[in-house]
Amino acid sequence: MVDRKTVVVTGVGVVNAAVVGASPALGAWLAQPRAAARVAVGHGRPAARLPEATLAALIDPNEARRLSRVCQLTIAAARLAVAESGVDPGRGLGLVVGSELGDFTSTIAFADGFLARGAAGLSALLFPNTVMNTMAATTAIAVAARELSLTLNVPTVAGELAVARGAAAVAGGRVDAVLAGGVDELDPLVAEMLDALGDDAVRGEGATFLVLESEGAARARGATVLGRIDGAAWRSLPARPWGVGRRATSRAVDEARARAGGGAPGWIYASATGDAERDAWEARVLAAALGAVPPVASLGGLLGQHGGLGALRVAAAAWTARSGLLPAAAGGAHARVSGPGLVHGLARGGGHVALMVSAP
Amino acid sequence: MRRVVVTGLGAVSPFGSGVKAYWAGLAAGTCAIRPLTVIDAGGFRCRIAAEVPEVSSGSPRRSRADRLALGAAVEALDDAGLSAADRAEAALVTGAVGGGMLEAEAWYWARARGERPPGWAAALRAILPGSHAEALGHRLRLGGPRHTVVTACSSGAVALAEAADLVADGVVDVAVAGGVDAMTRMCFMGFNALKLLDPEPCRPFDRDRRGMSIGEGAAFVVVEAAERARARGARVHAELAGHGMTTDAFHVTAPEPEGEGMARAMRAALAAARVSPSAVGYVNAHGTATPQNDRIEARAIARVFGEGGPLVSSTKSMIGHTMAAAGALEAVATILALTQELIPPTATLVTPDSEVTFDCVPRVAREAAVECAISNSFGFGGQNVTLLFRRI
Amino acid sequence: MEAKEVIDELKTILVTRLKFDPRRAAEVAATTPLPKGVEGSIGLDSLDFIELSIAIEETFGVVMDESEDLTAHFASFDTLSRFIVGRRGRA
Repeated sequence: MVDRKTVVVTGVGVVNAAVVGASPALGAWLAQPRAAARVAVGHGRPAARLPEATLAALIDPNEARRLSRVCQLTIAAARLAVAESGVDPGRGLGLVVGSELGDFTSTIAFADGFLARGAAGLSALLFPNTVMNTMAATTAIAVAARELSLTLNVPTVAGELAVARGAAAVAGGRVDAVLAGGVDELDPLVAEMLDALGDDAVRGEGATFLVLESEGAARARGATVLGRIDGAAWRSLPARPWGVGRRATSRAVDEARARAGGGAPGWIYASATGDAERDAWEARVLAAALGAVPPVASLGGLLGQHGGLGALRVAAAAWTARSGLLPAAAGGAHARVSGPGLVHGLARGGGHVALMVSAP
Repeated sequence: MRRVVVTGLGAVSPFGSGVKAYWAGLAAGTCAIRPLTVIDAGGFRCRIAAEVPEVSSGSPRRSRADRLALGAAVEALDDAGLSAADRAEAALVTGAVGGGMLEAEAWYWARARGERPPGWAAALRAILPGSHAEALGHRLRLGGPRHTVVTACSSGAVALAEAADLVADGVVDVAVAGGVDAMTRMCFMGFNALKLLDPEPCRPFDRDRRGMSIGEGAAFVVVEAAERARARGARVHAELAGHGMTTDAFHVTAPEPEGEGMARAMRAALAAARVSPSAVGYVNAHGTATPQNDRIEARAIARVFGEGGPLVSSTKSMIGHTMAAAGALEAVATILALTQELIPPTATLVTPDSEVTFDCVPRVAREAAVECAISNSFGFGGQNVTLLFRRI
Repeated sequence: MEAKEVIDELKTILVTRLKFDPRRAAEVAATTPLPKGVEGSIGLDSLDFIELSIAIEETFGVVMDESEDLTAHFASFDTLSRFIVGRRGRA
């Protein structure tokens, strides 16, 4: 096994319908979690959509002209995280973006242009957005990230997976700092599609990014460390595409724990979204991995499922590790917890991610 | 970090199904870029592409892209001779861009005509790039870590680099990695709109080149820890000795004019493999035949390897730009160049551009035994990847 | 078509195709530089110019060949409108 560096979080950026800001804003919300307001989006169920004015305030209009909405969300959150961390991108910054749906809005608009007016209706400006790496491409330019950049596509666990992948890059010494997180945007046609596929999750939108660094690099430059990712792993469980599997034993949790030194988590952020079948599967997987399952928080019902949520959970885990408080599922009093915690994600189709998080 | 070797190859290309057909076409310098049949190219200046002739693998209910991917992945697994137990532990990394877009387009176009097309939930389910990994993982019972990378034109190469890291770091002993893209209206129309397509078959590195040709296909490889491959008596094609991944962070479509990111990716691959530039005998270039890419890539290659260094060719002259499959199909071509001691040509090259300082292997494949070879993939948005392969 | 009408159409294109704010588009003068990097310009880059070319073909029927170097014509709305009027006169 390779000699692994310790991975720490030095910056957080969150942009969604309930929280906008860096770790203090997220912490304030976690201390008093309130559900994001839901509005009608197309013919789908009401969802947690970001007000237009919020995003307009975060991106300069000249810049915004050339950025699709999902790219604006990504850049806004990425910049907040970089600013909080104080990291210098010129010394080498990687970028990992997780997304479930990418830029569907631009893809549909591009197709509509052609269907309405033929070749003359094609938009050169829209075309690059039809490839899912557009958020990473535009964000790399906006924050000057010139090391590896990856876009990862998977249902449900895109944010967790991006952070786990970013942590692996830092832990393996391939890059000193990585901006890792996830983003998704609510689109009316997509909302319809998800309904038709029987996905019952509460939907939301937004972006959350974390700056991950090796502990040595962070301490050397005097950065404030918000939390540690002691171990991260991703695996898969057998399932039909978009299906819920039957098996509950998976090595992701064991591997994450082993990398973190073996201890059991004192608390969990899980990826429950309101999709009953999937949520039940995750509960079985957690029970199989841990035996007695400690207190679990999700945040999915409050913020709505989107690619940024998994990354937000890692940032929330850092807050919980520092504060000893875990938000209660049904809005009651926080649970008092201690020790390291587990951020756990399980997707239809079998994507499975586990991260062990502890206090600085 | 463990040494990583390639023990299985699979390809479905514009030359047909299988690595054999693929290599036969490349070795003969055949250009597979022809009039489009899969989609209607009416009204566009460019009406040609490199299509896969007969898509036969997998069920017709699957998306075209899924079928291409399955064909290539099954061949790679058979070639590697992986047991069911190996497969249950194997990681899977897929590079994808279009996903099942072709079928989703057909549905959306029908809807725009006022029809009520059936089967749309299935079409939309398969549209996302991550859907190939789910289909392959489930069908082929690959039970290890699984992820999908979308990095535009470099996706296939990034997938191989990711898989190599998983093996080198000891996360898994075996990984299956590759890339796939099927023809889509969106891709074809978009590149037409950007005026990046040549109405004739593309001519990489040619003084008179006018743009890209689009292609489709899939390629998958099996990578393994070297010790383990040796212990089980596997046939090893080549070593995946190093890779480099950088980002231009310059512009969403235009490459950075100095090719600095490209050069950094190549240098990083050399450094990771601990190989000096003089040991590289062949560069499989990204070579899309756009005026910009080829000029900038040529400059970057010259900077890293010196003028008149390795042989350089672009197999896009034969199979077009296969998008997310490109990095993987071209990796397979690079590996075969090493094992067959034959460098595939830049098949359509007539007059080399004066800015090109190296031998582009014009028109006819060249016999050459080289120790190391690299494959470049430089995606839209400045996503640069170089893979370095070494003879075993 | 007169140059002034052409310029009005170009300003509309700025809004509908290049996503400019309508007020900002209205403020663009005939001699305002268009390309990024020129002082006082509205900051159009290579992708913007491709979009603009597509829109010009659709709106004015003027087809532009990539082999021509038309950079000078795209310096401002003034040069562009004269180019368009000239090409239409030729057709």
